[in-house]
Amino acid sequence: MMALHANIRYCRVILLFLAGCAFFALLISRPAYAADEGGELDAVAHTADGVYLDFAPFGTVELPRIFLRKDPWGVDVFSSTRSALLSERYEIEHEEDGHAEVLHGEALHAAIEHHEHLYVKPKPVLGTMVLDLSITRHLVFGLLAALITLAIFLTLARRYRRHEDRVSAPRGIFQNMFEGLIVYVRDEIARPCIGPKYEQFVPFLLTAFTFILFCNLMGLVPYASAATSNISVTLTLAVFSFVVGQRRGTRAYWRHMFWAPGVPLPVKCLLAPIELVSLIAKHFALALRLFANMMSGSLLILSLIGIIFTINVLFGSLIATFVAPLGIAFTLFISFIKIAVAFIHAFVFTLLSAIFFGMAVEEHHEDEAHAEEQPVLAG
Amino acid sequence: MDPTALAYLGAGIGAGLVAIGAGIGLGHLAGPAMEGSARQPEAADHIRLSMIIAAALLEGVALFGMIICLLLTLKT
Amino acid sequence: MDIILAQSLLEPNAGLIFYKVVVFALLLFILRRFAWKPIVSALSEREETIDTSIKKAERALEEARKTGEKNEEARRAAEESARRVMQEARAAAEQVRSEELEKTRARIRQMQEQAQAEIEREKQRALDELRDEVAGLAIQTAEHILEETLDADRQRKMVDRFIEQLPRN
Repeated sequence: MMALHANIRYCRVILLFLAGCAFFALLISRPAYAADEGGELDAVAHTADGVYLDFAPFGTVELPRIFLRKDPWGVDVFSSTRSALLSERYEIEHEEDGHAEVLHGEALHAAIEHHEHLYVKPKPVLGTMVLDLSITRHLVFGLLAALITLAIFLTLARRYRRHEDRVSAPRGIFQNMFEGLIVYVRDEIARPCIGPKYEQFVPFLLTAFTFILFCNLMGLVPYASAATSNISVTLTLAVFSFVVGQRRGTRAYWRHMFWAPGVPLPVKCLLAPIELVSLIAKHFALALRLFANMMSGSLLILSLIGIIFTINVLFGSLIATFVAPLGIAFTLFISFIKIAVAFIHAFVFTLLSAIFFGMAVEEHHEDEAHAEEQPVLAG
Repeated sequence: MDPTALAYLGAGIGAGLVAIGAGIGLGHLAGPAMEGSARQPEAADHIRLSMIIAAALLEGVALFGMIICLLLTLKT
Repeated sequence: MDIILAQSLLEPNAGLIFYKVVVFALLLFILRRFAWKPIVSALSEREETIDTSIKKAERALEEARKTGEKNEEARRAAEESARRVMQEARAAAEQVRSEELEKTRARIRQMQEQAQAEIEREKQRALDELRDEVAGLAIQTAEHILEETLDADRQRKMVDRFIEQLPRN
């Protein structure tokens, strides 16, 4: 904790820097992007996952597409969506007035010109698609966050190689900052929430905390986006948390869940499914909370910026000019909140995971009164 | 009436209700927490921690509602 | 187009989940093996070192305090003994002095007494001599005066009787 206090000044500098980055990103990239879309800003398209990287106003980079298909079985790898479509082995449909129409030739080229092909799911001409293993934007930034996490903590681990470094006080901003983080997770999250058996869960909690934190902070970087604003990512994290925690569930814990002692038989039969549902709901809520917070942050920022363009369309450019500073100011405010949210939700995810682990590994006393229900953290 | 319009209406009203609910909840949470930490400054750290946890849970509930609203507006 | 966007926002993407599982599992494995293990063990090692050094310091402090107490006690004892020795010496000196004084005084008294006795004796002898002299002179004088009237024996008897009648001093 002392290390954390000593480094608050540096943290503040870094946070301000990040805030500045977010601000500039808003000033430069978003309006330009909106202009690119013909005066309309599609907040959803920007928040959602996509098979391209958006570097407006410098253009977009299409990501490789990988498809697994059957009848006949095979894996098709393309360097981009465009090449997949132009190879004539995959096609997209254009839906209009209720009936779909496969695009060919001129129409296809026009669609590619307008980047429409990026938003439609391609279909194989031969056979059916089993799995779309395409590289997506959130995967790229999630990987980037993972690489940053790896780079930081593998570098940090090298500091502890020599014995005299292991026992001496941490030196420098880098070591102090991240060691403070580690000590915080271990002493403030793992130890109080899990209890005496906390040590086996520390690696998972640390990994989850740092990975989510860096993912969240990526959402504040210009042109990047937060991988945690994708429900697939947060679901994966929650499933990991579920597996890691329930794997270590004690016999008493499972007995409590499926055969609650001290209650009559009908109630037992009633309680088991309720407990099971609450267990799954807890972890599902874990995923949804992180996803919704991260997603709503970027959605909110884009909507605030979008207000300017909506007003431009509705009331003319003069009023929009006056509204613009207001929108920017609000966006700046939300960006600051997003910094806090990035830390808080990394913390909350880790903390709730730790609490669920604590429930799973807790040693129950058999003679204890079992009247009280464990609090359901479904919210 | 156009079902799309109804869906948008429902989503808007729902978002407002979610905001009201979350606001009331956060108010109920933050007020006593402030009072408590003012009365016992030595417990302020602990209170703040549990307040953040509770706020996150509450926010989660609110965001569930928000997602339902979002589904309404998007899946027309 | 809207429909697909909405789906991509809220619908899990199987491919992404697959990749994420692989990525996160790898991340977890690598970090656990190469980062958290050395770091956390180093942290606990450091805590242990700090703990033991604190304990050691406490023990050293305790020892120092004990030693200080012992020293203090020894000092006090030494002081005490020195004071006692000095007191004893002073008392002895006092005694010696008074004894000496007493002895001197006694000797002086003795000498005084001796001198007195000597004087007394001398005086007695002088008196006796004087008496003899006086008697001789008186006899001579009486001889000269009476000469023929009395013989020598009767005269002596008469003088002795006379001397007897004289007061002693």
